Amino acid sequence: MPRRYGPYGGAFVPETLVPALVELERTWTEARADPAFRAELTLLSRTLGGRPTPLYFARNLTRRAGGAEIWLKREDLVHGGAHKFNNALGQGLLARRMGKPRLIAETGAGQHGVATASIGAALGLETEVYMGEVDMARQRPNVERMRLLGAKVHPVTTGSRTLKDAINAALRDWIANVRTTHYLLGSAVGPHPFPSLVADFQSVIGREILRQSRQSFGALPDLAVACVGGGSNAIGTFRPMLRTKVALLGIEAGGPRGGSRGAASLSHGRPGVLHGAYTYVLQNREGQVADTESVSAGLDYAGVGPEHAWLRDSGRVTYRAVHDDGALTAFRWLAEEEGILPALEPAHAIYAAVGEARRRSGRERVVVTLSGRGDKDLEVVLGALRRGA
Amino acid sequence: MERFDAALRSARALGRPVVVPYLMVDRRRRSGLAGVVDALARGGASALELGFPFSDPIADGPTLEAAAGRALDHGTRWSDLLDQVRVAGARLPTAVMTYANPVLYRGLRSGMKSLRRAGAGALIVPDLSFEEAGPWIHAAHSADLALVLFAAPAISPRRVEHIARRSRGFLYLVSRYGTTGRERPAGSADLAPLVRASHRAAPELPVLVGFGVRDRASAVQALASGADGVIVGSALEERLELRPRTTQIVRFIRTIASARGTPPAGVARPRRARRP
Ligand SMILES: Cc1ncc(COP(=O)(O)O)c(C=O)c1O
Repeated sequence: MPRRYGPYGGAFVPETLVPALVELERTWTEARADPAFRAELTLLSRTLGGRPTPLYFARNLTRRAGGAEIWLKREDLVHGGAHKFNNALGQGLLARRMGKPRLIAETGAGQHGVATASIGAALGLETEVYMGEVDMARQRPNVERMRLLGAKVHPVTTGSRTLKDAINAALRDWIANVRTTHYLLGSAVGPHPFPSLVADFQSVIGREILRQSRQSFGALPDLAVACVGGGSNAIGTFRPMLRTKVALLGIEAGGPRGGSRGAASLSHGRPGVLHGAYTYVLQNREGQVADTESVSAGLDYAGVGPEHAWLRDSGRVTYRAVHDDGALTAFRWLAEEEGILPALEPAHAIYAAVGEARRRSGRERVVVTLSGRGDKDLEVVLGALRRGA
Repeated sequence: MERFDAALRSARALGRPVVVPYLMVDRRRRSGLAGVVDALARGGASALELGFPFSDPIADGPTLEAAAGRALDHGTRWSDLLDQVRVAGARLPTAVMTYANPVLYRGLRSGMKSLRRAGAGALIVPDLSFEEAGPWIHAAHSADLALVLFAAPAISPRRVEHIARRSRGFLYLVSRYGTTGRERPAGSADLAPLVRASHRAAPELPVLVGFGVRDRASAVQALASGADGVIVGSALEERLELRPRTTQIVRFIRTIASARGTPPAGVARPRRARRP
């Protein structure tokens, strides 16, 4: 497994965590070569997770855009309502294999917390989730879901009280309880081997897209678009396509219009160390990590996975930011045109995909990863609509 | 670096525990700093750790996390760190502790050189695992700064040996599974084999135990492992928040400096290496 992507990645962690990271890498290396493990992962992906997810031709949205065809990879239909299940299942099975009876997780939008809570229940592992107070307020339905699924939810009241601080709290818990606990990190961020491991479990998205594209339109897509928070649904989409001719576009959260850097670390950050990885980080002039702003809790993060940092520098993937208002607009487009309520995170990607489709000919195909469904966001969206967004 | 090493070694040679208090750099505490450092020195501190606050201090418990948050809210900057290193370094040999990012932000070499020029003798980076330490070791060497590396109960004595050979100034031995501060450890770790491993691999290098050393009893327990000294952070920070009188600071450090480890039966005290 690569420890570095170009200069990015690594494991900047207290010594206490090093043995656990080594054990995790070793366990995954063994498990991936073990037919029984692979069979169980595949079976549960299907029977519990609902994979494979469909690739849907968004006919009305395509007409609205007036250009290339827009296809949606329906990760919103995965168990729990987001792609987060793919990774939670894989790591949950690894935790069981390592004999760790307890799972901890951070969550921003709550989708990763929900995925971890349901995997914890299904595998009989005790589950505790850290979530920033700000996010608990704006993603309340997911807090209730986690609790109903048997997880304990710890409010995080320090710092900006969002995803970054939830990761801090989870890391501190892990440092104290590493002998009995697996930290089920929810995105392709953090110290090695997490970025590689999470990308491995999420790559099922891109593999299915390639297969389904051939089946559906007899060709590869011309462009694949995904939103980038920590970057797990995006790396899962992109990785199997890196050696193809498919153009790749990652969409970060631009936050409110007018001056803010939002949460767009690849667009506005500079390399630094956050949560154990050397990667692009939004920081101030003193090397302190900056507070971020986004309408979507799941993209509201000052760092990004190190593989994306390298894909940005190498130019293989283009990254751009879409502002809050774009995401809200795309939310409505998808609701009105296709009868689908998207999560606000992939709504950023939908907005960019429509813009791209407009500029392309009707013979081209744009695939967007619809990473999650929007039920959790109703309050935020309705609030914004009332304010006239 | 010479002065920093020498100070730790001389305490060790006298058979006293090496006591290194930790202070968070906070712009609002600038005016009282000299007095506090003098009090720490009078109480028996051999050296000082100055912590530069970082926004995301994952190795710190609630006390130091809150202290860092306050310091940043007060507008504490790298220039304040350099200023306070100058003040403190004139009174006690001074190490700087901060996370990887604030140093990287300035560039490893120029960040370290600025610390050295201000008078720091050592640098301590709690999120720098041994695997990532290579470039830091080289940069510290060329800046004439001692890069202090960490060991912890989670790692094997063999790994401690490797780390001790590359560590300079001292070896920072984390006392337990957990972050800095008050919380009781999940179980008491046996540090003695790790201390022995370090002394075996690097006889000259002092081993200092930190995290959770807050009073005489916890210092005695830490020293019982055969360690050469202790680092006192959160407990001092809690006291400073109460705006103590100078004499109280002196007394607090003195009770810790007077602690002696009682080695477990049948275990010889590790050999005291002296400078040739
Ligand atoms: C639906 C959805 N999409 C995307 C994300 C962003 O995460 P990542 O970039 O790791 O895919 C989240 C995170 O919470 C999410 O809930």
